[in-house]
Amino acid sequence: MNDECRIGVYICNCGTNIAKVVNAERVCHRVADLPEVACARTYKYMCSNPGQDMITQDIKEHGLDRVVVAACSPRMHEPTFRKALEAAGLNPFMLEMANIREQCSWVHDDPAKATAKAADLTHAAVRRVARHQPLEKQEAPYTPATMVLGGGIAGLTVAVELADAGQHVHLIEQEGRLGGNVGRVDLTAPYLDSARDLLAEKIVQAETNPRIDVHLRSTLTDLQGFVGNFTGTVTHQDGSDTEFPVGSVVVCTGYHEFDATRVERLGYGKHLDVITSFELEQRLRSGRLETADGRVPRYVSIVHCVGSRNVKYHTYCSRVCCMTALKYGHEIKSALPEAMVTDLYVDMLSFGKGGEDLYRRTSELKTMFLMYEKEDYPVVRAAEAGDDCGLLVQVRERLSGETIDVPADLVVLMVGMQARADSDQVARTVGISQDVEGWFIESHPKLAPVSTPTEGVFIAGCCQSPKDIPDTVAQARAAAAMVLGYIAQGKVEVDARYAQIDGDLCSGCRVCNELCPYTAIAYDPDEGRSDVQSALCKACGTCVAACPSGAIAARHFTDEQILEQIEGVLAWSSSQP
Amino acid sequence: MAIRANPHLIDELEKYGAQDVVKCYHCGNCSATCPFSGDVFVFPRKSMRYLQLGLSSRLQGNLEPWLCYYCGECSEECPRGAEPGETMMSMRRWLTARYDFTGISGLFYRSAKAELLAIVLVALLTGLGLTLFGMAQGDINIYDGPGAFLPAEKIHVFDWVMAGVLVVLLGINCVRMWWYTVGADKEVRIPPGEYIKQLFLVPWHFITQHRYSQCDRKQPWAVHLVLMLSYLTMLILIMFFLHRVQHGPAIDWKAHAFGYLAAAGLVGTTIYALAGRVRKTWTHYQHSHETDWIFLVLLLVVSVTGIIQHVLHRGGWTTAANVVYIAHMMGVVPMLVLEVPFSKWSHMAYRPLAMYFSTMREKALLAEEETEERPQPAAQTA
Repeated sequence: MNDECRIGVYICNCGTNIAKVVNAERVCHRVADLPEVACARTYKYMCSNPGQDMITQDIKEHGLDRVVVAACSPRMHEPTFRKALEAAGLNPFMLEMANIREQCSWVHDDPAKATAKAADLTHAAVRRVARHQPLEKQEAPYTPATMVLGGGIAGLTVAVELADAGQHVHLIEQEGRLGGNVGRVDLTAPYLDSARDLLAEKIVQAETNPRIDVHLRSTLTDLQGFVGNFTGTVTHQDGSDTEFPVGSVVVCTGYHEFDATRVERLGYGKHLDVITSFELEQRLRSGRLETADGRVPRYVSIVHCVGSRNVKYHTYCSRVCCMTALKYGHEIKSALPEAMVTDLYVDMLSFGKGGEDLYRRTSELKTMFLMYEKEDYPVVRAAEAGDDCGLLVQVRERLSGETIDVPADLVVLMVGMQARADSDQVARTVGISQDVEGWFIESHPKLAPVSTPTEGVFIAGCCQSPKDIPDTVAQARAAAAMVLGYIAQGKVEVDARYAQIDGDLCSGCRVCNELCPYTAIAYDPDEGRSDVQSALCKACGTCVAACPSGAIAARHFTDEQILEQIEGVLAWSSSQP
Repeated sequence: MAIRANPHLIDELEKYGAQDVVKCYHCGNCSATCPFSGDVFVFPRKSMRYLQLGLSSRLQGNLEPWLCYYCGECSEECPRGAEPGETMMSMRRWLTARYDFTGISGLFYRSAKAELLAIVLVALLTGLGLTLFGMAQGDINIYDGPGAFLPAEKIHVFDWVMAGVLVVLLGINCVRMWWYTVGADKEVRIPPGEYIKQLFLVPWHFITQHRYSQCDRKQPWAVHLVLMLSYLTMLILIMFFLHRVQHGPAIDWKAHAFGYLAAAGLVGTTIYALAGRVRKTWTHYQHSHETDWIFLVLLLVVSVTGIIQHVLHRGGWTTAANVVYIAHMMGVVPMLVLEVPFSKWSHMAYRPLAMYFSTMREKALLAEEETEERPQPAAQTA
């Protein structure tokens, strides 16, 4: 034990949050006797200004060189107390927090045991902080250029926003045209605006703005570096590569539509007059709404939730299909006023502005709505001789309890959205994660919806989850704002906590390379060993635990610090107060 | 077996007065509000659904429209303005046309012009026939007794013949109603004994309109009851007590008191209903089908001409009384011949029958459920 330490211990009551179960005075009394503890105090709210001042004051008066705060989770107030240390001229990493609120008072109701546990945790923090070393934060410049992956409505919006703010953008599009999936649509719900009009303006802006470099038929094949300092390798159609230094990457790769042949009952691929929503869009745009043999359809049947909200395919809702189906009710009726439209749905999700109104208007056009049970898809079969329609759609209708044959000449399947087939490749290249369905995962579903755990990489639009155009554009502009925020700072602060590989001990086995969730470890074939890029590392410790040679240490999470902490927890366990 | 959806059924019902049915999205507020909607008969929502899906056969076998008295609360509660009450009304018209084997009913409901034409035609034939008959065997200046222009005992024979024909026509339609709603239903079997046991329900509901009185709003029931009892009183007086009310100039108060009350009741309620429909006072007066107007106007014409004719007769203006009597008959005959078997008045038979059928059906269904719930040892060993 380091006897030369002078540690200050501060136990917070958190009003009554901690005090109602844990006796802070008793904890204080127990740790005060420890030889390395120079002073120990309790206070009502340690995070308040008087509380912080008390710590700063003590550091100066008692010559403290380390501080333990037993209070809430470090996620809550570690930055607060680090500032208090800095104010007194102490390195902020000489702080350790014991979480006696979330881990004691909030989860236990036996005051004696909770107090004993709080004392153990505080003791462990005291033992750990004695092993702390002063660490220095690093800074790196921020490259203002941005790479945007995907030229759909999301990517176009990000690019135009950034370029309008005076920043340079590389817009990478895999296809030979800009516009993405919105470019395949005729009108948009709920106001029936032309999708082409929405896109045309953005595409012209993207193509004419000198600050936007559009790279068609190109893909990002490699991304190296860290936030503010990436190098993206873009492979073009002719096989040539270009490297772009960029500060941030915004992923707007969109979605693929569900493959309707997977639902056999719906007869897609078997009956020519069963078509997908995108095929209907094509026919509506071409102005020829006909059956396969060129007849004008008298009955059009629209089936919702194809591939969505189903345990066999995708459990999530694709969010846009209900509104799109209601829109088709209008478009079909205006193209063919004599046609009868039937709408087979599971639940009508006409959320948001204008949604209910569109539902009502489509109802008034005498669209027949039939409700079917989730996962009990209707069955499409050829009509019998003598029927006045080409197909019959049999549906077990929930609101009437009847099994009903719906006449149809054209059956339109509202195919849902699914993650692109190449999304795992994109995820691996830019270093972000996917959920079970393949959608990219955001940092926080509510508070950080366009950030990812990989700093400097953002996501927007349907690559994150199915969403409509307004939500996609909102995310795109949010991502642009995030990027502009970084650019405005001009530099990026790199965490002082990261893993370090001892070159002498590393055998070059590359176990850590594969395990690192942040792709922060690269293998150097010349040296025959791996190295951690400190700016990318989040100090999660996975590589430290995995390294067979014990060559990796995480700064601020060294083996001796952790072992000391464990011993601190166990030291008093036999002697309950 | 699957039933075919008929997307054109809504269009058909619109000719019978249905409107805004498509707006319904089945929240169920209407059925929750209705004091009559229960476990077996859930309306108006279920009927709305049958209609939206174009399930003609289900709608045809549906008794529920007759169980509704259109208090209008469902239409008021509807968040989408889908007018469930008016839809039930239009379904009653549609069902009346379905029950009618001649097809005349459907023609009248779909075309007011056809109904008006038929009324005018029957009225003219009646007027012409009575005039020729009177001229052939009597004196237009004599109202009663020997040499009377239209002797009461001879007209009375005509009354009874007409009543016989109407009963047969309506009777056939009632049998068709039974077949559609109960007879053809393979789901529920009603034991024959029940038909006897529950038969009292028909006169009970006919006379008291007991179910109507159970609506939250009592005034429409009271008005309807007064109208119905007034009409019934008048009918009984004419069919069975003609000898006491026909001859003048003395007034037989024991009989006439009923007649005057009935006349007042008929005129009062008819004017109330007409004024209500013009001013749209109640929810059930908001939407008026052409047949509603025709019915009320005919009834008012018949009542008023009847009163005038009586006053003229008792006042000694016998020639005028004879003329007005012909006018009265020109209203009575089309009203009875066309309205009783083919239009609005047929509901005087269909409604009590619906109470009768639905009570038996409900009992049979509940009995079946009970036997199903009982553990069956044979099934267990198998």
